[in-house]
Amino acid sequence: MMTKFEDIKVSNADYAFFLAVLLLCIIGLIAIYSASYQAESPALKDNFAKQLVWLMLGLILMGIIIILPVRFFWSLAYVLYFLTIFLLILTLVINRGNPVARWLPIGSFQFQPSELAKISVVIFLARYLAEEKRDLNKFKDILIAFVIVLVPALLIVNQPDLGTSLVFFAIVLPILFWAGLPSFYLFIILTPFITMISSFNFYTYFLAMALIIVVLLLFKRKILLSSLVIIANIVMGIITPMLWNQMREYQRHRILTFLGLEMDPKGLSYQVIQSKVAIGSGGFWGKGILKGTQTQLRFLPEQHTDFVFSVVGEELGFIGSSIVLILFLFLLLRAIYIAAKVRNKFSGLMVIGATAVLGFHIIINIGMTVGMMPVTGLPLPFLSYGGSFLLVSMSFVGIIINASIRRFRY
Amino acid sequence: MQPFMTLAKKQVVYSAFVIILFMILIARFFYLQIYKQEQYFKASERNRIREITVEPNRGLMFDRNGEVLVDNYPSYSAYAIPFEVRKADSVLNLAGRILDISPAEIRSIIARERSGQFTPVKLKRQIDFKTISLIEELRLDLPGILYQNEPRRYYPSGIRAPHLFGYLGEVTKSELNQPEYKNFRLGDIVGKKGLERYYDSELRGLRGYQYVEVDAYGREIKALKDKPEILPVPGRNLHLTIDAPLQRMLEARMDSLQGGAVVVDCHTGGVLALVSKPDFDPEIFTKPVPVEVWHSLINDPRKPLYDRMVQSLYPPGSTYKLVLVAAALETGSITPSWKAFCPGYTWMGRRRFDCWNINGHGESDLLQAIEQSCNVYFYKLGLKVGLDHWAHFSRIFLFDKPTGIDLINERAGLVPDRAYLDRQFGKDQWPKGLIFNLAIGQGDLLVSPLQMARLAMIIANEGVYRQFHILNYLEDPLTKTKKPAQVDSVRIVGVSAETFKIIKQGMYRVCNGDRGTGRAANYRDITVAGKTGTAQNPHGDDHAWFIGFAPFEAPQIAFCIFVENGGSGGRNAAPIAREIIKNYFFRAKTNDDKI
Repeated sequence: MMTKFEDIKVSNADYAFFLAVLLLCIIGLIAIYSASYQAESPALKDNFAKQLVWLMLGLILMGIIIILPVRFFWSLAYVLYFLTIFLLILTLVINRGNPVARWLPIGSFQFQPSELAKISVVIFLARYLAEEKRDLNKFKDILIAFVIVLVPALLIVNQPDLGTSLVFFAIVLPILFWAGLPSFYLFIILTPFITMISSFNFYTYFLAMALIIVVLLLFKRKILLSSLVIIANIVMGIITPMLWNQMREYQRHRILTFLGLEMDPKGLSYQVIQSKVAIGSGGFWGKGILKGTQTQLRFLPEQHTDFVFSVVGEELGFIGSSIVLILFLFLLLRAIYIAAKVRNKFSGLMVIGATAVLGFHIIINIGMTVGMMPVTGLPLPFLSYGGSFLLVSMSFVGIIINASIRRFRY
Repeated sequence: MQPFMTLAKKQVVYSAFVIILFMILIARFFYLQIYKQEQYFKASERNRIREITVEPNRGLMFDRNGEVLVDNYPSYSAYAIPFEVRKADSVLNLAGRILDISPAEIRSIIARERSGQFTPVKLKRQIDFKTISLIEELRLDLPGILYQNEPRRYYPSGIRAPHLFGYLGEVTKSELNQPEYKNFRLGDIVGKKGLERYYDSELRGLRGYQYVEVDAYGREIKALKDKPEILPVPGRNLHLTIDAPLQRMLEARMDSLQGGAVVVDCHTGGVLALVSKPDFDPEIFTKPVPVEVWHSLINDPRKPLYDRMVQSLYPPGSTYKLVLVAAALETGSITPSWKAFCPGYTWMGRRRFDCWNINGHGESDLLQAIEQSCNVYFYKLGLKVGLDHWAHFSRIFLFDKPTGIDLINERAGLVPDRAYLDRQFGKDQWPKGLIFNLAIGQGDLLVSPLQMARLAMIIANEGVYRQFHILNYLEDPLTKTKKPAQVDSVRIVGVSAETFKIIKQGMYRVCNGDRGTGRAANYRDITVAGKTGTAQNPHGDDHAWFIGFAPFEAPQIAFCIFVENGGSGGRNAAPIAREIIKNYFFRAKTNDDKI
């Protein structure tokens, strides 16, 4: 058994990367401590201690994942994926009749299969795309990759948890492109979204179509294929407004609010306004730890979970926010670097998948706290309070460090 | 074109993508935390700092001798903070039960009257002590429900004088648009009528503020050290020129009548008593007025809300003959010895004009004519003086101007002149007999009782008018500094001392002559000079007038008594003057003796 671990060169581990993660976790603990500092309810007061325990568990989990051989993930990929699908279906079945069906009770403990799904999909997609026979010029192979993310995503949409389901689409494109999807196809996949968004205004629609045609011409592909893309996009542009007009008022309102295009003063936007007030009032140096009035007087709901970044913004100011942002940026850039350096394709794809999940969470969550992104309920890696997501994040860290240690191996 | 990018190239693309996104985020942080910091900081302060207003005590009113006329009584109102009760049905249900308002109504009050998330909205005025203690007891179950002190008036002196004191009420939406009420909120209590309204800004004082830190649930966390409390400044006290015993006596004396009386100090213009009847109980307005009560007040045919002394205009009847006398003497139309014969009537063309005494007064000179108020004499005098001179002297005696008393809605009289009559009848189309009516104070001429009191004062002072005022001085309740009322003094130009002497002589004869119409005004050794009036009233019985001053030798007070549908002035108004004399001069003396 020992021989398997012999060639792990610990010196190859990316310490800077790990240090960034650790620093972020510590900042997160401080923010959670601050956010729970003046709470009366004992449940909130315990947040800090609980998060500390979760962090320990996370570090242990990360250590285990670092040690595990890449082969282990390879062979686990299918099993884990189908187990996850099974658990997602089970969650829906067990919680039938509940308006929200996100948790699976295991004893006194609540388990969220959608969190596990993030890991399973990354591993499964990585293996699927790393297999020798895969040819990303083939329509079928690309389609299957999409089906792989679509199945859990649709199950999660039904929970309902739109935010989390979107994470899977954030994985599929970067990982496909990394695996060798021709840029032409990437472009084709992206065009319907461009058309959809631009189709509400004649001029933007016209501009988008012109742009698509120009790019298609530049790619110099077969006329038939290009024409098909154009026709598909024209149809898309006509159908979208029709569908939109068919929708009920509340549905449209919901979508606009979700996209952050419409305000909803009583509900979600109250949080965003208070979050902006918290962050903006922090100024350059911040109000000081435990001195943020927005935080301490709880003007912002969810400040220890989804809106934890507003605590950082208020109490540590522009300086603190920038440090956190730079740590995150470093973390992502470093992970991409590792993915590029890893000689094992499967490993590299797992790293890209993990990076995509973390990156998506970071951008959406921080963007949400400053009012640039819709409020989706996606937590911030390493900083937000919450055990299961911390374990998922640490697993991804484990996968990335695992790859960095073995980067010279095929 | 290369089919695959190398991983190194992809790394650059991915990194660039991530960097761009992060640059956008950092720019956003820069924008919020540095560029907009001040704005957001203010917003966060607004979030956490609640301003609690502390209502000042409203100024009191005293009479000239320091007797309290209008006092405050501790009273509380219940409020709701819209933000805090916006979702809590349980709070509204409980509050509704305690205050006896339905939760739906509370919601509608809040929706109607809110002016901010954290600005309390008044739910109910004058909640009783039991309700306050219930709110206090259930404090924890009633977040966002509070109560505050609010001025409530009471009248300890037994003087009602609702027209004089006025009353308080909630500021209305339309009033809030006026600059005067710039910093007011719906539900604030302001003076609505009378002195309460006229001196509202003095009586009101300045609100105090306390600042407390609150959390998102609106719970008070602590007092703020860096924002000290601002103490309320109590309103200033009004020390009035009113003489409480005189006012009390007049109110009682006239209680069954319609009309009123005003007594002024000739030397200062200070109003000693001002009564308008019928009136209403001012206590009605110390509580929220029920709709039925309000409707019964405004629909009462006797119009109790109307201040008859200040706001109503009437024909002055014979009292106005004094103005014609001044015009006649000053224009040289007659000398006092000019005589006219009264057979009880006279003719103008084919129209017959009667004297009030159909048996006729025979031949009389000016003083006799004034003493007996002979209409025929004055018809003839009017004809001699002419409309233009008459109107001119009416204006000299200020009948086209209000007295400027410190009450609201005072009306100026109507002096018909050539221009006015031309408008009414067409150019030069008006009947020549019109001057007959005007000469005896009838016709289109309209005056307020207050203006008649002013005429009495001008004659008493031989041409000097001191502006009427009810305020003597304002007093700061903290520093006790006094600020006297600004009083204008006007000398009438165009009427000689000689003329005044003759008019005064005539008025002396009215009260003291053998056949004087105002003999009922005298009391003991105080000599009264006056003039009676009996104004014909197309709508009913004649109005009774009596104006005058006393003592004749050195006038101290001037007065006007007016009784709507009172009949003869000599019989029904002059005796009230006697009561005034008795009360003012003899009560004062006994009081002085005591001291």
